[in-house]
Amino acid sequence: MTTNIAAHPTIPADRDILVCIFQRGAADGLNALAPYSDSDYYSERPVIAVPPPGMAGGGIYVTDDYALHPSLAPLKPIYDAGNLALVHATGVPHQNRSHFSAQNLIERGVVEKTGPNTGWLGRHIAQSTAASNSAFRVISISGNVPVALTGADEPLAIDNLNDFGFDQGILDSGYPQVLTDFFRNAVPFSGPAAAALIAMEELQSADLSTILPENGALYPDTALGRKMRQASQLIKSQLPVEVICVDSDGWDHHENLPTYIDQSLTELADVLSAFNTDMDIGMARITVLVYTEFGRRIGENGSAGTDHGTGSLAYLMGGGVNGGQIISDWPGLDTGINEDLQITTDLRSVMTEMLDKRLGGTDVGTVFPGFGGPTTVNAFLT
Amino acid sequence: MVNTADQLLQKLNSLQSRREFLQLFGKGLGYSALATVLPACGSSSSSDNDPDVPPPAPPPPLPAASPEYTALKRISFGPHRDELTAIRNLGISSYIEQQLDHLNISDGTLEADIQALFPLTFQAPVQLLAGFPDNIFDVATQMIAATQYRQMFSKRQLYEVMVEFWSDHFNIHLVNGLGPTLKPIDDQQVIRQHALGNFKDMLHASGKSTAMLFYLDNFLNQAVAPNENYARELMELHTLGVDGGYTEDDIKEVARCFTGWTLRLPGDPDADYGEFVFVDAIHDNGAKTVLSNPIAAGGGQADGEAILDLLADHPSTARFIATKLCRRFISDNPDAATIDAVAAAFTASGGDIKDTLRAVFASSAFVDSADLKFTRPSEYLASLVRALAPDTSYPADNGLFWFYAQNTLGQLPFYWPTPDGYPDVQSYWASTGGLLNRWRLSFLSFSGVIPGLDIIDIDYASMLNGANTINAVVDAITDAVLMRPLANEDRDIIVAWLETEWMVAADEPQAGTLPLQAAALLAAVLVSSIYFHLR
Repeated sequence: MTTNIAAHPTIPADRDILVCIFQRGAADGLNALAPYSDSDYYSERPVIAVPPPGMAGGGIYVTDDYALHPSLAPLKPIYDAGNLALVHATGVPHQNRSHFSAQNLIERGVVEKTGPNTGWLGRHIAQSTAASNSAFRVISISGNVPVALTGADEPLAIDNLNDFGFDQGILDSGYPQVLTDFFRNAVPFSGPAAAALIAMEELQSADLSTILPENGALYPDTALGRKMRQASQLIKSQLPVEVICVDSDGWDHHENLPTYIDQSLTELADVLSAFNTDMDIGMARITVLVYTEFGRRIGENGSAGTDHGTGSLAYLMGGGVNGGQIISDWPGLDTGINEDLQITTDLRSVMTEMLDKRLGGTDVGTVFPGFGGPTTVNAFLT
Repeated sequence: MVNTADQLLQKLNSLQSRREFLQLFGKGLGYSALATVLPACGSSSSSDNDPDVPPPAPPPPLPAASPEYTALKRISFGPHRDELTAIRNLGISSYIEQQLDHLNISDGTLEADIQALFPLTFQAPVQLLAGFPDNIFDVATQMIAATQYRQMFSKRQLYEVMVEFWSDHFNIHLVNGLGPTLKPIDDQQVIRQHALGNFKDMLHASGKSTAMLFYLDNFLNQAVAPNENYARELMELHTLGVDGGYTEDDIKEVARCFTGWTLRLPGDPDADYGEFVFVDAIHDNGAKTVLSNPIAAGGGQADGEAILDLLADHPSTARFIATKLCRRFISDNPDAATIDAVAAAFTASGGDIKDTLRAVFASSAFVDSADLKFTRPSEYLASLVRALAPDTSYPADNGLFWFYAQNTLGQLPFYWPTPDGYPDVQSYWASTGGLLNRWRLSFLSFSGVIPGLDIIDIDYASMLNGANTINAVVDAITDAVLMRPLANEDRDIIVAWLETEWMVAADEPQAGTLPLQAAALLAAVLVSSIYFHLR
């Protein structure tokens, strides 16, 4: 049996469900999608480079210029089917190499410290028409609201949807009602408190525990795997969710990058592949965006790792993606500017096009203040 | 109801197996990394080290607590009945002076008890390596429990608050490669040694801490190809702050200065594992320039020492540390004048932490900012115990329940993966999931509705002191547990609730166990309420 999410009664006609995966720690794009035709790649990364396709341990051929890291093999069929596009040498041009500042800037959708304190997705949601009154419109599957979602009306942050609520004994005691009353005037806590109690009721009727992966999809039993399995349950539950955010941790590979990025990419590919299989034709109405705060230096350091850089790789998956292509205006690896992969495709162009074509339209001036375009890179279908 | 309790206990018990623990503790990162004894540090969304903290929300309209309560709530892990009496008797400033002089506060048998209960927390790297990696579970649980016990039971509360503050400031993820063998001695000799001492001393100790050298990869930093990880975080997180005026070139130059700062690795024949060592052969002995200061060629280990001095004395460091202290003790967005005064005290005292704290506590902002801070989970958990069970002894499970509680609440000590430490802002902690988890913990542990999970003795009878009407029960428990007044409208809500629950009138004397049951239920509500979460 396959859940036909495309015919999901709670998905508004004008927008996809958006799933955002943030790779925390600055993921290296140059080993995820190796520019193997660029000879500088091998001179700059003598120890850690991904060998060309056909060689021992070589990458998976995608084009005459690019090869996927072998651990990303599960993504190749999705790419070939036209449901995955890769954006190389991308990022938000913020000139900041601190993880914490860069994450803050990119999640706020700005390049300077000035500007709105809210998140790009939060502002998009705030300016869009609510498709429902559900507490589940916007959710982060984590313990805390990520900056990207701030500005939306009470985004949920729940780390385990299968264990969110009170036991019957507590419900019978009248405790939730007295809590509701108690928090009613306690600004700013009344918002999250009320949302928690409403979300609890909605989850009880949805009964996620009965919703299992389908079509043989196997989510790895890892942090990201468990979160995306919950995302799947949530989408299939027919709760009117519009945006789901999850984090993928552990991308800061300053040393022994080959070992660690192999683990990280394996997890990412297995999770995306499982989700794609699980959603099946439902992917027609789901868009997945994978992005990070910045990339790594072109040259490896003395510890078989890479230090902080600029441009990286973004992944776009879904039926509405103009897939089977690598979107890149390749800057070369010999730019001499701070020894970094330069950003030639502004990630805000990708995000704007995604919101325009797949999320029901947006106000780019609100979502990305000061951004001068372009507002499309032909990454999505209309 | 019995089923529920059984299920919960079953779940807790089942989690106690080592495999489950490692799954939980490894958060799915894959513990194969241990085999390679190399760290991989992640990064997570938070931003209280960044100036772009969301603007403060207006405070909830709560009736004012006493100044003594507010002061105590901020310099401790929750008011304890006896400490509230003490601060009232001594006056706030004398009480704070007493707390600052922590070595002269008798802590009874606490340290001896911790040494007996959690001996691994006192072991040297070479001892811990002998049991590694099989001892990871034990090292982690003992480190966490020792921290929780001190937060709950120590009389040196301000000292423990500062230990937590510096543990976040110089954050090291415990379960990270060789971390379990190295962090215990860092906790003893860097954090606890200097928590109320001098910042420059602590910075130097941290620079040579092998746990830090390992965690931030400096142990691999060598002249032929420097590793910038420590250099960047040293300036961004430990000293200057991200806007402190350094450049990308400064990071590269500082990295060169610290080449050769490493540790004796397992199997080193020359010395004990885990000791700091400077290896001149891999040090970059060329000339460097850091923050416009020339570092002459040939300095060897002195290069790094000079950088630590330079950074400790830098005005940006004074301001950065002052900002973080004000954020801890005053509000998420402290005012510039107070930060300036605290920074000036830091500079004038040469980084003396007690003098710097005195400037925080002497500020008008400290007095005027009651209820602007949202408690973090560690404080919440400890304050539950301190308020509800001031006379309790250690739990029979050696703190295992508290371990799971704090894991659920999201602030397990030494478990924040990235070097910025746990956030200290309300916008991070006051989420839907965060609130629900607090409510569940309060209710499960203290309501008496689910027997078996109340792992500590709560003496409701003595709190009631004979109160036998709903009205009297509410007043007695509010006084004992909250130690601050309720708004009339909030008091009305709970009185009405208890009247409905038991179908009795509020002023009608009750016999039997009803007052005790009401006390337990009420305590759970009060510690779930906004009154208990703010300081």
